[in-house]
Amino acid sequence: MPDEMEEIIQDFIIETQEILDGLDEKFVDLEKDRSNQDLLNDIFRSIHTLKGASGFLGFNQMVELTHTTENVLKKLKDGLLEVTPYIMDVILEAVDLMKLLLVHIKEKDGVEEDLSGIVAKLQAIERGEAAAGKDDASAASEAEPEDETPEDTRTHHTDNEPAGRERDEERESPAQAAKGTEQEAYAHPADREKIHVEQTLRVDIERLDNVLNLVGELVLARNRLMKITSNIESKHPDAPETSKLTETTAFLSLITTDLQLAVMKTRMQPVRKVFNKFPRMVRDLARSRGKKVELLINGEETEVDKSVIENIADPLVHLVRNALDHGIESPEERESAGKPAQGTLRLSASQEGNNIVIEIEDDGRGIDSELIRRKAAEKGLITETEAASLSDREALDLLFTPGFSTAKEITDISGRGVGMDVVKTNISKLNGTIDIQTEKGKGSRFIIRFPLTLAIVQTLMVETAGDVYAIPIGAILETVRVTEEDVETVNSQEVIQLRGDVLPVVRLSRLFGSFSSEASGTFYVVVVTAENKKFGIAVDRLKGQEEAVIKAVEGNLVNLNDTNIFAGATITGDGRVVLIVDVATVMESIATGALVYA
Amino acid sequence: MFDPNMKILVVDDFSTMRKIVRNVLKQLGYSNIEEAEDGAQAYSMLKEGSFQFVVSDWNMPNLDGLEMLKKIRSDPDLKDLPVLMVTAEAEKDKVIAAIKAGVNNYIVKPFTAETLKQKMEQIYERLNSG
Repeated sequence: MPDEMEEIIQDFIIETQEILDGLDEKFVDLEKDRSNQDLLNDIFRSIHTLKGASGFLGFNQMVELTHTTENVLKKLKDGLLEVTPYIMDVILEAVDLMKLLLVHIKEKDGVEEDLSGIVAKLQAIERGEAAAGKDDASAASEAEPEDETPEDTRTHHTDNEPAGRERDEERESPAQAAKGTEQEAYAHPADREKIHVEQTLRVDIERLDNVLNLVGELVLARNRLMKITSNIESKHPDAPETSKLTETTAFLSLITTDLQLAVMKTRMQPVRKVFNKFPRMVRDLARSRGKKVELLINGEETEVDKSVIENIADPLVHLVRNALDHGIESPEERESAGKPAQGTLRLSASQEGNNIVIEIEDDGRGIDSELIRRKAAEKGLITETEAASLSDREALDLLFTPGFSTAKEITDISGRGVGMDVVKTNISKLNGTIDIQTEKGKGSRFIIRFPLTLAIVQTLMVETAGDVYAIPIGAILETVRVTEEDVETVNSQEVIQLRGDVLPVVRLSRLFGSFSSEASGTFYVVVVTAENKKFGIAVDRLKGQEEAVIKAVEGNLVNLNDTNIFAGATITGDGRVVLIVDVATVMESIATGALVYA
Repeated sequence: MFDPNMKILVVDDFSTMRKIVRNVLKQLGYSNIEEAEDGAQAYSMLKEGSFQFVVSDWNMPNLDGLEMLKKIRSDPDLKDLPVLMVTAEAEKDKVIAAIKAGVNNYIVKPFTAETLKQKMEQIYERLNSG
């Protein structure tokens, strides 16, 4: 029995979380389309359901809060109260508290919240006292005259609802007419997507990770088998068993690839999970900043790996906050610039080949590259001369430099020191990139790209000082053969010249502390790119392309000045354990001068 | 009392609630239980399977408990099927509407296994007295 209860409570937590997350969006939609009865019913039902289940499980605080909220919702639903921004604020506050209560349930910490404040507010609204929102005077006049009658109407009409409702509706109609004389131009009704029933099974993520791990091992074994097969093929090309082996191996290889894809799909979740929180966030921020913003969301059904969902939320929150704080102007400023008072923020996700692209676009004032140059120079990040010589694109890149923030004033939204550099770091963790397009006065667009999966990567195997390393193909631009004479030293950084460009070169052997130098004479430079910059990795030999299943590596081995310059390890077809170079981190190390040569 | 092997349909849009009800029914010795997540799904399941008892939530999307009940009562194949309605709290007007529509009994949540047992016994007695 206790086990079953525990399981039910776990389900309750997950399901309630989903309901509460979904509520934010519904409330924001409701605010735009205040008379949407379906939406109101839907919200009412969610809270009602939550109350019922909480009662069974003995979560009394949750019962109390949902009960009081439900009473207000019932009046809204029955048209006895009008949705005002103030009422929305209070209900949203209650929903936030429900989330907090859920955390306590999850943590089993036994902590109780003080609900008296919110309960009092909700009850006041229910009585019709506090319906007068600070900024919605019309609602007050509607709510008050109705104050006495509804209770009687309710209790006396015990037979059925229609009689009561008709009377309410009659009384409502002038109010609705008044509402029609638009007070705020909320243009479009919320697109309601049809709720569809899915056949789903909840699986512990650990089990899935285990399956993924095993498939990873299988891929490695497959790679080994393919290597062995090709060895046998070259030794015994005419043996009748050889062709059978080749055929079977090829078939196994195909199935393994399919299996790998299928397993990866089980970890995929729609980005809706992250996008969900934005309608509410944008609404709250816009309201607190006195801005008018419409949020448009596209492609929320695009599926990405679970780890992406976990890591992309913070950067997106940051970018959305920035757009509201720095991008979109106040309604007055917009109007005087000849733009509609309401700004537009567009959030979209899509899949392009093996990449996921997420875009955040606003029609605000754009990013002033001149301002960035000046700020960067003021902060001593670059010299005045450097600032003057930067292209606009390079100037925008400065946004991602640690310690840079263009906020003129610190607000509660952004400019709190958590800068764009953190955004960049988070995206790099996903092997992703971020690009900025901006036009002064027109708006900005941030484009984030990252690979579909982080678990498997095509690599180039290279050898240096007798050790083999893997470099992700995605980062490689080209490979060139050079001689020792081609290498020059500028400011203690080794460089080569490549078609007129000066390219910093990093020697893998020295980087990783194996002290024997590259074979004198000729060697190879693998030209890689990270963060819109290029550099070369010098190696002795190129060994060929191989698919690497990334295995996490822990410990000091892979740390260089506290920086992990390896993305992980893999096992090659010939059974060797090989470290995978994290190009972006090596690039950072060069940029910050953390690399000190032996 | 009802046969412990009778086939019961639990209808609720909240899966946690379905589990809770299922769990309570299990405590009473019933194990042949299926679930539906709204009235519409429940109705089509009832049409297909030989259910002998329904425990249904009230407030659900698509087809709510009351509408489902009305459909059951007006369906010649299902009209005698015992239906127990679960409501959140004693809402008089609602309960009366349900009784008018022919509900066999109603139960207010949260309820205990003991209360559910009583309600089911009442239904059984009424069905077998007249």
